[in-house]
Amino acid sequence: MSTTLLCIGLTLAAYAGVRALYLRYRHPLLNVVALGAGLVIAALLALHIPYADYVPAQKIMTALLGPATVGLAVPLYRYRSLLLRAAPAILGSVALGAVLAMLSAGGIAKLGGLPQDVVVSILPKGVSIPFAVEIAQIYHGIPALAAAFVVATGTLGSLFGGWLLTLARVRDPMARGLALGTVSHGQGTATALMEGEQQGAMAGLAMILAGICTAGFAPLAVLLLGLG
Amino acid sequence: MTQTLKALGQLALLWAIYLGSTWLVGFLGLPIPGNVVGVVLLFSLLCLGVVKLEYVELAADLLLKHLVFFFVPIAVGLMEWGGVFREYGLTLALAIVLSAVLPLLAVGGLTQLLNARRRA
Repeated sequence: MSTTLLCIGLTLAAYAGVRALYLRYRHPLLNVVALGAGLVIAALLALHIPYADYVPAQKIMTALLGPATVGLAVPLYRYRSLLLRAAPAILGSVALGAVLAMLSAGGIAKLGGLPQDVVVSILPKGVSIPFAVEIAQIYHGIPALAAAFVVATGTLGSLFGGWLLTLARVRDPMARGLALGTVSHGQGTATALMEGEQQGAMAGLAMILAGICTAGFAPLAVLLLGLG
Repeated sequence: MTQTLKALGQLALLWAIYLGSTWLVGFLGLPIPGNVVGVVLLFSLLCLGVVKLEYVELAADLLLKHLVFFFVPIAVGLMEWGGVFREYGLTLALAIVLSAVLPLLAVGGLTQLLNARRRA
């Protein structure tokens, strides 16, 4: 119990600290997820607390993620007219992105000679964990590994996504939000929300659409990559 | 105080929609996560006027402001998978990085292009 409280305290402190630093300096390397989790992992290792002892704290802290995700309907509703006007662009871009993510991840993993269950587990790495686990299971992947790839991709996207888009001169807030949400799901959406409300709303929409597209196109990717 | 109570009430409503959606997905055996159905459901209820924006926006905005927090404890889970990442490190790194960069630029670039054309 006291370990759980300690773990919650550590995580809250890491979050609050990195967030304050980010809001003060706005530097992309002051990434709340990557740096925050890095600090927590370092503290757990230093205090010899195994990951298993962190899990109860993790469960408590993520209890509100479900209702928070449902809350994404609010910014979506505020931007409903923009959403309707740009519907073809949104659908086309996100579907292309979801297929490209699966084929490039699976293709490289297969060429690199990874075992088939690992290749299947990497396919849904761009979507949120509940989606990825479901898809991995359907095609005989490893759900826990699929979840790990999702987190790795999300952390990467929230760390470098905004910077990379700026480098590529993508300035349109809708385009930035959609790209972040398609590639790195909830973490990308959370990062986009820190950029602005429109970016956040579009990222949330992209996350949902990318999840549906990935589930829908997964049979095609499995077939094309010869994983069936 | 009233604001806090209001936020808690709204949170309960969001939670109820989430739980209802999760139950529905399980009941129908859909291959879709409950939270995704929850977003679609709440969006539909807002569009239909069944749920007013004022019933949920206080709690939703507060949760979304700190949405990134939830991913800190989740990302701590990566410490468990160090072995797999060491064993297949280079290939996995390449696969994860390229499959993030390509779609990121494709989606961002294509949307910006299509939006510019729509406005022109």
